[in-house]
Amino acid sequence: MRYSIITVLIILSVIFMISSCCEGNIEPEAQNGKLSIEFVHYNNGTELIFDSLAYTNEAGNNYLVNEIQYFISDVTLHKPNGSSILLNSWSDIHYIDTDIKETKTHTYRDEVPEGVYNSISFTFGIDEDKNQSLMFVNAPESFMFWPENLGGGYHYMKLNGKWINEIGLQAPFNFHLGIGQIYHSFPDSISGFVQNYFGVNLENEPIIIKNTETTNIKLIMNVENWFSTPHIYDHNYWGGDIMQKQDAMQQAVDNGNDVFNYTIN
Amino acid sequence: MKVYRAISILVIALLLTGCEDKTTPTPHIPTPYIIDIPFGFPTELNIPIDNPLTVEGIELGRYLFYDGRLSGRTHPDSLMSCATCHRQEKSFEAGIDHPKFPGGFPFGISGLHTHHVTLPMINLVWNKTGYGWSGFLYKDNPNENMRNLEDMVRLAVLAKDELDGDTTQIKELFQSIDGYPLLFEKAFGSKEITFQIIEKAIAQFIRTLISSNSKFDKYMRGEEQLTQSELNGFVLFTTEEGADCFHCHGGYGNPLFTTHLYYNNGKDTIFIDPMDRFSISNDPMDHGAYKATSLRNIELQGPYMHDGRYSTLEEVIDFYSHDLKQSPYINPLMHHIINGGIQLTPNEKTDLLNFIRTLRDDEFLTNNEFSKPLKFPDE
Repeated sequence: MRYSIITVLIILSVIFMISSCCEGNIEPEAQNGKLSIEFVHYNNGTELIFDSLAYTNEAGNNYLVNEIQYFISDVTLHKPNGSSILLNSWSDIHYIDTDIKETKTHTYRDEVPEGVYNSISFTFGIDEDKNQSLMFVNAPESFMFWPENLGGGYHYMKLNGKWINEIGLQAPFNFHLGIGQIYHSFPDSISGFVQNYFGVNLENEPIIIKNTETTNIKLIMNVENWFSTPHIYDHNYWGGDIMQKQDAMQQAVDNGNDVFNYTIN
Repeated sequence: MKVYRAISILVIALLLTGCEDKTTPTPHIPTPYIIDIPFGFPTELNIPIDNPLTVEGIELGRYLFYDGRLSGRTHPDSLMSCATCHRQEKSFEAGIDHPKFPGGFPFGISGLHTHHVTLPMINLVWNKTGYGWSGFLYKDNPNENMRNLEDMVRLAVLAKDELDGDTTQIKELFQSIDGYPLLFEKAFGSKEITFQIIEKAIAQFIRTLISSNSKFDKYMRGEEQLTQSELNGFVLFTTEEGADCFHCHGGYGNPLFTTHLYYNNGKDTIFIDPMDRFSISNDPMDHGAYKATSLRNIELQGPYMHDGRYSTLEEVIDFYSHDLKQSPYINPLMHHIINGGIQLTPNEKTDLLNFIRTLRDDEFLTNNEFSKPLKFPDE
């Protein structure tokens, strides 16, 4: 009897061990890495020098950039086979401020399956479902609020600078993007709003995610492109402010399509 | 016999020791004070880890804030406290009708005028971007003694143009005043007064000075409606084609009504103030830049601008409307400079003023919890 019990225990142990080995073979551990984005700002191929009147746009405006603040959201990596992964486990909206170092690098918390991704996409700004007033109550994001009467939510971007205007004076420009308005009679009667966020899809070079490693990419905003292709944006024509000028914001949206590219660090 | 005696002594000693343990007072644990975040306000607060808010700390801070002996002196002519310049009825600013400082230009015990006019003490628990017109006290300051409200208290006490005090003399004075040591013990666990504890207590009290119940707050919460003129003013306030105040002074999405950031707003063409933002940041674009003040209760906070050059809000609105000065350092957000200002009509000025007046919070201005105590601990 005693020997029988021992025999049964040995058999059960062997079965358990075999079963454990088999399970290990069937479901290997997930192989994941991370993605980190460094946000950089260029003008004519080199890093932007802030507060320097060193730049001339296609309209011939001599200009400087003082600061850039903007949101990107819904960053997604795409594989050649059509599958994709949305990086949203911590926050799907990221704020970048050229005056705040901490915002210029962001490592997503998402575990990204290893592999080769051939493109990255994101929304420039915030889509209308998410762009709700008071969702950011803390600074600096809260400073980006877009007034309720102009559509609410948040600026997608503030790009502030100055240009030398037609009479040779340094004139400030606030190249601000957000929800546009359709005016029945300007400025008192608004008959509708225009969502000006737009999608950006970049396919420069393969983004390789390796198990347990962080892949670093540099997302480059080419500032000069905001003012060219397909529209030549002229500060002398549009003036210093555009939050209430949908036609100007539409030009910015159209021009925004080729503002970004990326490189692998 | 000797053995019995030894055992008895041991037993008695043990009993005495036991009694001693029982009579040792347990350290006083002050009561945590929780700030209720008002609707739309930031959830992130500027409260240092080493100075959490407590009911007892705030109570002590309130006494010290109002006690003229904070100058370290007892002669009636030499009394001065925080409240001498920061008056509740003026949103904790001096105010243009200050009984002692003509025109609202404060001076210290020594008679020296302050370099700039006072800033209001309002909603500072949300200020994370520096104190003072230039932001000379800031979180990452290499000088560890120049970082937060606690440091502001000490600097004000020491400054020749303010309390002109001596920290040793002050702590010794309060140590000798009946009632204070007990309050210090309740709040910070010891009757021994240090100046660092004085700083902490006053800073705690200042962090509780919260204004969030103006007419505009009630409008935000759907409790009250604005008049048509106030609504017109609100639209002007929050549109670029209007007065475009909101980029620096907030609004519905930023109910602090300031960014707490620094701007050259076009007041001057020559910049010689050694205490502007440039003096701190060394950024050339910060010449002539100063902190944007909160517009809450602003109608009570004259004189206006860092140097108090304007006496009334009407003058301020006229300045922004027609009198902006061009310079290489003007902040890009001042895009109306190209027209010399926002060019408001008289009616628009009235509307804008009426809206700004909705930011007055009478509950804050009369809140007993912020007022001078009915009597001091030794009274």
